[in-house]
Amino acid sequence: MTEFPRLTYDALTVGEQFVSDTHLVTPEDIEAYAFAVDDHHPWFTHDSPVGGPVAHPTLMANQALHLRHSKYIVHAGLHAKMQFEFVEPIRPGMRVRSRGTVVDKYERRGRQYMVTEYVTEDETGAVLVRGQFTQMLIPEGTRHAAR
Amino acid sequence: MPLAETVAVGQELPALVKEMSQRRIDVYSGVRPRSIHTDEAWARQKGFRTTLAQGMMSTAFASEMMTRLLGEGFIRGGTLSMAFIKPVYAGDRLTVHGVVRETRPESARTRVVVEVWCQNQHGEKTAVGTASGLTEG
Repeated sequence: MTEFPRLTYDALTVGEQFVSDTHLVTPEDIEAYAFAVDDHHPWFTHDSPVGGPVAHPTLMANQALHLRHSKYIVHAGLHAKMQFEFVEPIRPGMRVRSRGTVVDKYERRGRQYMVTEYVTEDETGAVLVRGQFTQMLIPEGTRHAAR
Repeated sequence: MPLAETVAVGQELPALVKEMSQRRIDVYSGVRPRSIHTDEAWARQKGFRTTLAQGMMSTAFASEMMTRLLGEGFIRGGTLSMAFIKPVYAGDRLTVHGVVRETRPESARTRVVVEVWCQNQHGEKTAVGTASGLTEG
């Protein structure tokens, strides 16, 4: 049974690891994503140069971004930076999961940040996407001064 | 057909315009309470004037621009790095820009490096970064 403590800067440990559940990529996922970002490239529904349809390269980015939710209750946060390396296309029918490691945490100008390296892979463990992201923590009881 | 055959340093890529409707934000982020993306009252409580789009949506827009430019050379072998520097609110209109900054040999191919950024309807940059991908020759 997983317990979900509240995510705080102090609770977070550099080196701690996260893993997502496995997600079956469906044509409906790809269609919904295409609507959300208003990108209806024909390769999402028809043949592509790599054989068969492919998903939008960033389709599973939220699986990676939400990794910390697999261990913590996250009060609120903002996404500061995102890096991707698109190794192999994500395709419908794949079962994909993301794994991440907290590689840094720091405070700057009164704000708290965490940095996670991640990889998204298929059911065989083949790497599809890898990268790193930086998230800002918004502690409970505080407001973010929007810029 | 990808645009890559015409790539040259300094070339400005065709801009994309994106209307950031709450409906699209809802589909992207998934509707739930206590979310700055889909719960307006919560977003205001957290200090924002209304709900925000996820920064990640801007990476999708840059990815679209790069896939149009390089095709397979972006979806396999592409990179993208972006910083989210201003909130994007529901109702905003984003224009996505790209300028080719560098081409360099990589194995038997050429890596094309593009400066990318998103700008809102007030002319303010909301996300900035760099993307790259491979093309033949």
